[in-house]
Amino acid sequence: MLVLQNFLRGWRGGQSKLVLASLALAVAVVTSVAFLADRVEKALIDESTAFLAADLVLESNSLIEPRLSAKAREMELQTSAMMTFVSMVYSNDEMHLASVRAIDERYPLRGELSYSMFPFSADSSAVKVAESGPPSGETWVDARILPLLKIGLGDYLEFGDIKLRVSRVLIEEPDSRGSFSFYGARILINIDDVAPAGVILEGSRVKYKLLIALRDDLNPTLLSNYREWLAERLTIHQRIIDPEMAEASIADSIDKGRKFLLLSGSVGLVLSAIALALASHQFAVDEVMQVGLFKSWGLSRGRIRRFYLVYGLVIALVGATVGICIGAAVQEILVLLLSEWLPITLPRAGLMPLLIGLGTGLFCVIGFMLPAIWHLPNLPPMTVLRKDLLVHSVARAYRGVIGMLTIALLLVWYSENLLLSASILTGLLVIAMAVAVIGLILFRLSKWFSKFLGGSWRLAFANLWRRRDQNLIQLFGFSSAIALLLTMAVVRTSLIDNWKLQLDEDTPNHFLINVAPYELTGAEALIKEYSLDTAGWYSMVRGRLREFNGEEITAERREKHESLRRELNLSWAQNLPTGNSIVAGRWWGPSSEILDSADVPVSIETDLADELGLSLGDRLTFSIGGLNFEATIASTRSLSWDNMTPNFYFLFPEGVLEEFPRTYMTSLRIPPVKKLILNDLLRSYPTIQVIELDRIIERIEKIVVQITRGVEVMTSIILICGVLVMFSAISLSMSERFHESAILRTIGSSRRLLLSIQLIEFTSLGITAGFLASLGAEIAIAMVQWLLFDSAWAFHSWIWIAGPTAGGLLIGTLGTAYSRQSTTRAPLEMLRKL
Amino acid sequence: MIHVSNVSKKVMVLNAELTILESLSLKVETGESLAVIGPSGSGKSTLLGLMAGLDVPSTGTVHIAGINITEMSEESRASVRSEHVGFVFQSFHLLQSLTALENVSLPLELKNSSKPESTANHYLKRVGLKDRMHHYPRQLSGGEQQRVALARAFACRPNILFADEPTGNLDIVTGEAINNLLFELNREEGTTLVIVTHEQSLASLCSRQLHLKSGQNFTPVEEMKVKC
Repeated sequence: MLVLQNFLRGWRGGQSKLVLASLALAVAVVTSVAFLADRVEKALIDESTAFLAADLVLESNSLIEPRLSAKAREMELQTSAMMTFVSMVYSNDEMHLASVRAIDERYPLRGELSYSMFPFSADSSAVKVAESGPPSGETWVDARILPLLKIGLGDYLEFGDIKLRVSRVLIEEPDSRGSFSFYGARILINIDDVAPAGVILEGSRVKYKLLIALRDDLNPTLLSNYREWLAERLTIHQRIIDPEMAEASIADSIDKGRKFLLLSGSVGLVLSAIALALASHQFAVDEVMQVGLFKSWGLSRGRIRRFYLVYGLVIALVGATVGICIGAAVQEILVLLLSEWLPITLPRAGLMPLLIGLGTGLFCVIGFMLPAIWHLPNLPPMTVLRKDLLVHSVARAYRGVIGMLTIALLLVWYSENLLLSASILTGLLVIAMAVAVIGLILFRLSKWFSKFLGGSWRLAFANLWRRRDQNLIQLFGFSSAIALLLTMAVVRTSLIDNWKLQLDEDTPNHFLINVAPYELTGAEALIKEYSLDTAGWYSMVRGRLREFNGEEITAERREKHESLRRELNLSWAQNLPTGNSIVAGRWWGPSSEILDSADVPVSIETDLADELGLSLGDRLTFSIGGLNFEATIASTRSLSWDNMTPNFYFLFPEGVLEEFPRTYMTSLRIPPVKKLILNDLLRSYPTIQVIELDRIIERIEKIVVQITRGVEVMTSIILICGVLVMFSAISLSMSERFHESAILRTIGSSRRLLLSIQLIEFTSLGITAGFLASLGAEIAIAMVQWLLFDSAWAFHSWIWIAGPTAGGLLIGTLGTAYSRQSTTRAPLEMLRKL
Repeated sequence: MIHVSNVSKKVMVLNAELTILESLSLKVETGESLAVIGPSGSGKSTLLGLMAGLDVPSTGTVHIAGINITEMSEESRASVRSEHVGFVFQSFHLLQSLTALENVSLPLELKNSSKPESTANHYLKRVGLKDRMHHYPRQLSGGEQQRVALARAFACRPNILFADEPTGNLDIVTGEAINNLLFELNREEGTTLVIVTHEQSLASLCSRQLHLKSGQNFTPVEEMKVKC
């Protein structure tokens, strides 16, 4: 009770305000991100399952045994059967090789099936969501099939031996992501119509799918149990598709967004922790007199220790409670900003974020506040009579180590990401070392330099060295805050730029492949006629993999890997294409060297190499147009799929493949109003394959816009944390500055002189901090980009200018503004207070 | 009440031993008022700290209320202080975040006294601050702050009150008013009073004066004069 009273009195007096504010902010940052991460996680899973139209899909090249679906139903799981294949559809004299999807009445189990009654309508309100697909006897078709077959809605098209009435325009199936295997326009039919049509014959290439979903009221373990049961019964023709595998490009955007949230949460946490450490330091200084009084009144050491332990606990509980409330509110704001994307019916977050908040509060108090006040009960009682007595607080080195350990533990516990934690900690350690060494040298130099200066410059520069102990702590606080803010700014900018690339109005949304050389001029002309631009034409040669290291690829191995069963697109390039980066080996030099060498090098995409168990130096034999062709793996590459430009699994040097028959491919942006170009193109060149990615890009755009908003909100919170750290650091030296100002004013110094001394001191500290921060930030950014976002390291020259400039301006202004009152109050009033 | 016997105090300053007090002995009887006077650096505050049990001597013994506190641990000395000792300081040492009433009640609360607030209320009225009870130290003048400090000290009903330059921060008129109040309260409560001061006017109000005279070469206590 007494502690609580004292806490409230302390709050009034302001001693614990900074401590509480820092703690509340640390907890707020952690809980808001914990709450949100929970929801984002669920949203991500929902989004992925929607891309599958199910929670789990069994894909098979042959008919799926009925017992597999029977078992799922027996376990109360929902099932739906699907077949996809390519088939010719006719109407009068017109025909089209369509991509057919045959579904049952339960499809889709997840996500939405949308249709329209108005072909080519750009009006989004015309798009409706269907409960289930077409009934038997009907078909829903891609709008562009209508002009191709010269029919309209309500007309019939011929499908094998039967006729189907075209009842709706198919807009989107949840799992209609940019599959590279379909040929022409899509049609959706009822699975019961497949057999009567007689289009499936022995040897037809059909993909059978069994879609599985868990009812919302059932235990998720049912699904994993079924998955295990199914995995044991898979044949080599079958594979299970998980939500994670559903859509890489969207998952990548969301994943990066999630990592950014985690990064900003971690940065916010560290900033608040530093603010708390600094505020606790000041709190301990302010409490010395009170402890002296306690001792003079006869309070035992044990009782004073208990008092401060309970005080710490009260601060932890109050700080955590306030922080959790702020965190929950911030999280609601974030959810509001992301509401279009996040599912509305998400269950409320459970107890976990609350526990995380409380845990953070306690942990912060134990790691930062207790070491700062630990010495208080041991103060000699004589401190009440003599201010000059040395106060032996816990050694700064120990407190530094305890603080760093606490930050490390909090980071690892909170982010569950060792790489992220290591990146931030390395940056902080570099700053700590740089502050200790470079900071001290600069302060010493300023002392020496001050001899050659006059007036306020002389006093200010001399002060930097005179107050070096305090200045070093301040410098660490300032540098850490600026470094973490710079890190956030760089990562945020690079992420948003990356996403903007996807949002770019010119980002291609269609691929044209299999364009024959003689079709190239005509296709190009048609594209120009529609005033469209391609991303450039890429040559490619179709070939199959035949042998690995001289040994024929076995039938069993071919069954396991889809890439071994089909023709692959082989291309060539002299320079490494944009968006590609070498993972192992090296890119080739001038073509003359290669042509002289006996071995033909090939560069393979790294994931495919891993899947096929291939490594550098392996010899691959390709069969191209019946001719065998051998190459040796010279490098593995990772590809960027974000920019929607053609990418190739296998790349050769120039002058190797040119003699083989080649086709061309390109990507281009087709706006909805010009979509009819596809009909003209396919009518003139029926063998050209079109891959439509416009729907998926629209979805990416929507998500990216919202994630960007979330990122901006988090950045603002982090900025507040940064300012709090600076505020805490500035307040460290305030009482001494007040004292000094009072004395200087008493002996007749002008307000202007005092203000300029403070301005010079704080600005110098800010510039130094900005410089040291740039060093720490460059290291932290390099690690974060490399370890977390898989981006290459780049030198950021602008931060070396922005850091010192922002540091000087921000700390110069904040510091001078804060200490301004020392020049406005009456000197006697201040002296009496001290 | 206080018995100081052959006490010396030495401290290490910059690796050199500095003698602040040497071979000092004195007795303060119950109800007596003693003024310790002397120039700055003569060891007045050090002696007060030793007599109050805030510190221990390098050699010699100190008894408070018949208890030898010299060999005691800090914890045991704290318990002696709690029972017998009160303080008034030169710079008042009021807690800035507490009102006058709270400043006076806090030590009572810490001592688990019954009705700390009404006791504090009584003493604040006694020192003439009836209308300033809910004011914060920053809203009070220096003299008023020292009145609060007096109320706080006497509210705990100590057997011995130590005052360290109680009027050092006040002007002459206010200082005299505080002095008078201090001695009035002392008489009313029957407290033993030990005052450290360099003001002769204050010292002259005490029943006894002890002069500490500092010397040269870091041996400040060369001579001890006792005036009765």
